[in-house]
Amino acid sequence: MRRFLGSFPLLLAALIAQAHSASDAYLTLSVDGADESTLHGQWDIALRDLDFVLRLDDDGDGELTWGEVKRHQASIDRYAYEKLRFKDETGASCAVQPTRQLIDAHADGAYAALFFDVHCAHRSQTLSMSYTLFFPIDPSHRGIFVMHSAKGTSTAVLSPQNANVVLALE
Amino acid sequence: MGMVNRLWTIGSLICAGVVFAGNAPAGYASPPMGLPAPYRAPYIPASDGERLQEVPSVADPKVVEMRSLRAKLDAAPQGLDAAIRLANSYIDYSRQIGDAHYAGYAEAVIAPWTALTAPPATALLTQATILQYRHQFDAARDLLQATLRLDARNAQAWLTLATLDMVQGRYEAARKDCAQVTNTSGLELGSACLGNLLSYTGQARQSLALLRQSEVSGGRASIAYQAWIEGLIAETAERLGDWPLAEAHYRSALQLLPRDNFLLVAYADFLLDRGRPGEVLPLLADHSQSDTAFLRVALAQAALHSPEASRYAWMMAARFEALRQRGSDYFGREEARFALQLQHDPQTSLALAQHNWEFQRAPWDARVLLEAALAAHQPRAAAAAVAFVEQTRLEDPIVQSLARQVPMPSSNAARENR
Repeated sequence: MRRFLGSFPLLLAALIAQAHSASDAYLTLSVDGADESTLHGQWDIALRDLDFVLRLDDDGDGELTWGEVKRHQASIDRYAYEKLRFKDETGASCAVQPTRQLIDAHADGAYAALFFDVHCAHRSQTLSMSYTLFFPIDPSHRGIFVMHSAKGTSTAVLSPQNANVVLALE
Repeated sequence: MGMVNRLWTIGSLICAGVVFAGNAPAGYASPPMGLPAPYRAPYIPASDGERLQEVPSVADPKVVEMRSLRAKLDAAPQGLDAAIRLANSYIDYSRQIGDAHYAGYAEAVIAPWTALTAPPATALLTQATILQYRHQFDAARDLLQATLRLDARNAQAWLTLATLDMVQGRYEAARKDCAQVTNTSGLELGSACLGNLLSYTGQARQSLALLRQSEVSGGRASIAYQAWIEGLIAETAERLGDWPLAEAHYRSALQLLPRDNFLLVAYADFLLDRGRPGEVLPLLADHSQSDTAFLRVALAQAALHSPEASRYAWMMAARFEALRQRGSDYFGREEARFALQLQHDPQTSLALAQHNWEFQRAPWDARVLLEAALAAHQPRAAAAAVAFVEQTRLEDPIVQSLARQVPMPSSNAARENR
């Protein structure tokens, strides 16, 4: 009856309880002071998260260099902007225009900082935003969202249960 | 309606005022004077060779294993066994490197099965492990009980439940769970379970004897199992105040699993307690990704009065702030230590330790509560921890000496009568 220990599929993780941080991305939008139908955005996404899905570490040495990240910038853009959508009041999609990609240092590591503009064809009081980054592969991912406008600053935590938010522009 | 009001109606909001660029923590808008800023504006690195980030390397066999399990699952996505194997591999890696991202990946892998109206036992057990890892103890307990309703002879489920009960100080329940581990898996694992339990209930000597038996008989078992036993022996030796024995077993555990975050952190705590912060820095040099390891580095830097100390404290604050922003509050034990030792804020530390005590009752949880209450000159605020120590007869020279500083007239009388 007794199973030999060597074959016991002991899952060690179950035997400890220790806290660890999970995946976050930081999305900041600012309403253009001169043109309220335009938003400026900065989206910081952890390089280690991007490496998991896009395998950025070309030489497999466990160290991402700027050269490796630079080579993958186009695929990072493609991957990320698929997961961020804006629609105006009429339901028409707004254009998301990537402007540049830099590196941003956070307390838990280096992030790709994706800068972009959002242009909507119709002047709209509200926009709906849909954020689905990483959710299908990591439901514990959170988008820490901050929006700046003439009204002030507001924040939200984007999660699989809270992936669609309405932004008031005026 | 203004934007703020509108957003408030949408979902789980956090009420932060201004969030600084680069995610600087509130109250820490600028780094301490005279130190290089850990944050700067987004930048373009100076050269292609500039190293930006450590990532899992294919030189790590565990990474190769995960990729191969992933390929197998992708080839046949309906396979529950393949999914469970991949998920468990992710969870194990998450624990090993002290990084919760992989627990999230594991959750996604088993999501098709946990979403079923009648999820299979293996999927429930894996999900329970993920929730326990995230300190969602009540939800983990529910899933473990559901697992055991489906599969009452699941030794891993009983062992996981035993661990959960120990973490929460429910030792009577843990004793029954360990008996079930023996019933379902055999004496070897059962006595390891019991050995672990006895180290919390005033029977550390018996605990040590049982664990030493497991150590001998476990020679044929997996490295992970052996390292687990070595770690438990080290912990029990600490309970007995036998520092050389504890150190020897931390070292053997780390010889088996040199990169294991849990063991590294436990050994670092040991070194900090023994007044050897200088040894913590090389020990954890490659593990700064883990928040728990990073805290020990920050504590060591402070103990060494190093010029880097305030920068580390600042970075640690930023990490806690990031956790708060995403809505996590399960770092109570760590944050209570941080507030007390690095921010010198006993009141905040006490509030954190008291909240933490509501759902975690390991010796370290008693300790942070006692330390905070004493530092805040509110010793009675730790009365629950003192009562717990007396009730369970926890042997731990550090916790006991703290508990003795809390005036508890009635319990002292009870002790004399015993």
